[in-house]
Amino acid sequence: MRFLALLRKELRESLPWLLLAGLLLLGVGLLALRAQVRFTNQGYWSYHPGMGPGEDIAAYRLVRNSRLAEPALWLAFIAPGLGLVLGVSHFWVPLFARTWSFLLHRSTSRMSILGAKLGAAILGFLISLGLVWTGLYWYACRPGVFPIPEPIQILVAGWIYIAMGLVVYLGTALSALSTARWYTTRIFGLAFATLAVFVMLVQWHLGWVFVLAVPAIAILLVQTVAAFLSREF
Amino acid sequence: MAEIVLETKGLTKYYGAKPALDHLDLRVPRGCICGFLGRNGAGKTTAIKLMLGLLTPTAGSATLLGCDSTALTPAIRQRIGYVTEGHRLFRWMTIGRLEEFQRAFFPKQWDSRLFADMIEYFELSKRQKIKHLSNGQRAQVSLALALAPNPELLVMDDPTLGLDAAIRRQFLEGMIELITRQGRTVLFSSHILADVERVADRIVVIDKGVLRADCPLEQFRASVRKVVVHFENSAPADVELAGLLHFRRSERQLELTLVGVGDAEVADWARQAGAERFDFVEMNLEDQFIEFTAPPHRRRLFQWEKA
Repeated sequence: MRFLALLRKELRESLPWLLLAGLLLLGVGLLALRAQVRFTNQGYWSYHPGMGPGEDIAAYRLVRNSRLAEPALWLAFIAPGLGLVLGVSHFWVPLFARTWSFLLHRSTSRMSILGAKLGAAILGFLISLGLVWTGLYWYACRPGVFPIPEPIQILVAGWIYIAMGLVVYLGTALSALSTARWYTTRIFGLAFATLAVFVMLVQWHLGWVFVLAVPAIAILLVQTVAAFLSREF
Repeated sequence: MAEIVLETKGLTKYYGAKPALDHLDLRVPRGCICGFLGRNGAGKTTAIKLMLGLLTPTAGSATLLGCDSTALTPAIRQRIGYVTEGHRLFRWMTIGRLEEFQRAFFPKQWDSRLFADMIEYFELSKRQKIKHLSNGQRAQVSLALALAPNPELLVMDDPTLGLDAAIRRQFLEGMIELITRQGRTVLFSSHILADVERVADRIVVIDKGVLRADCPLEQFRASVRKVVVHFENSAPADVELAGLLHFRRSERQLELTLVGVGDAEVADWARQAGAERFDFVEMNLEDQFIEFTAPPHRRRLFQWEKA
């Protein structure tokens, strides 16, 4: 009940940003797909190289060759953007608004308070971007929409971008929770997140991207938890 | 002897090399209404945050309801009400939503009736959003949120800061409502002495992070005194008297601020100094507090009067 109250609060505070991100992706996705459908109906379509089974290609190149290329490009900006905004909203705004004292004096553990914030962010990414992205992919693959269904890699690439959003969220949280100076260790969270996003984008194989994303999230998560549990407010 | 619900032993906090709180030793018994006094920057908020485990002490310890402040369990926190400085609440919430949020953490002890009564008493509506409330109204909501779970210990950090006199009175009346309940303990910081005088039965004074007084209010009121000593000719340039805090000198009179000095001791000193007569000056708590916490350089503020 206590955790649910915290989770509800965090979700409600994130709602405007989640709606904005979800609707933006849905809007640009539907517009792009409609344009592609019109284009295809006029007879201009072909199979793009680099999309066949077993063909490895960098995540940023992969999206070029799909009909979901344009919305995927948007997603590559929206997801990290949402991560940044949620990180600021969850960890920076309470510092400015000085609501940490009120929030932390709850009859619950600090871990629950942090868990509610992380849970709200993960749920937010899953619902606002994950569902919309999967929905767009499902629509593009429906029989009769396009002559050739979209490859599964484009769906995975979208989810990788969403994971990058989570990396940026955790990096922002870590920088917000740090009490060091910006030019010392405080920048670590955001710098690490930026580096992780860059490295993930230039990887040639989706498997490697996954292998990189997991430790990036794990490292930032461990650091964020440690910082939150020991921080003075 | 009454049970001690809040105790600090050598509680110390340094920010870098600067001490914000220096070896605070404090014992607040159950049922006590303790006014925590100090000037701006004296270390009141730091002390309260240390007590509630929001800051980690550099040295020493604080114990609330028998539990160390650095390891306050959810069960202990449930028994402690906290009104934060500036009444910082979630601005987007309505009062009703905030009640719902707060109630989730006190499922068994939440007194919905009391909360509703207080909101009505303060002429607020549960549909009002926090961001649309004035400072005073937010203070009232904060108090209602802190009182509705019936806490055994209520800690308030400068709850009347920035409120006008009418709202402060209304706020204090709300607090007195709590005080009248058996066994409640209140620690509240303030620098509005009239507020403290109205409700406190014990005061703690800290100055620059150092404990200066911890005693019943009446004892403080009786201890800090001001006496004006008149001389027929010139007043002495210096004063040697045990319990002297500071003094002001003019041509034929000395104004002494004393702590714990009895009438007889003053009379003895006046006779030895060759005084014509002396009069005790009536002081309210605010005057006493200001004199008590006046910085040492105040002694030299009025040196021009010597000329």
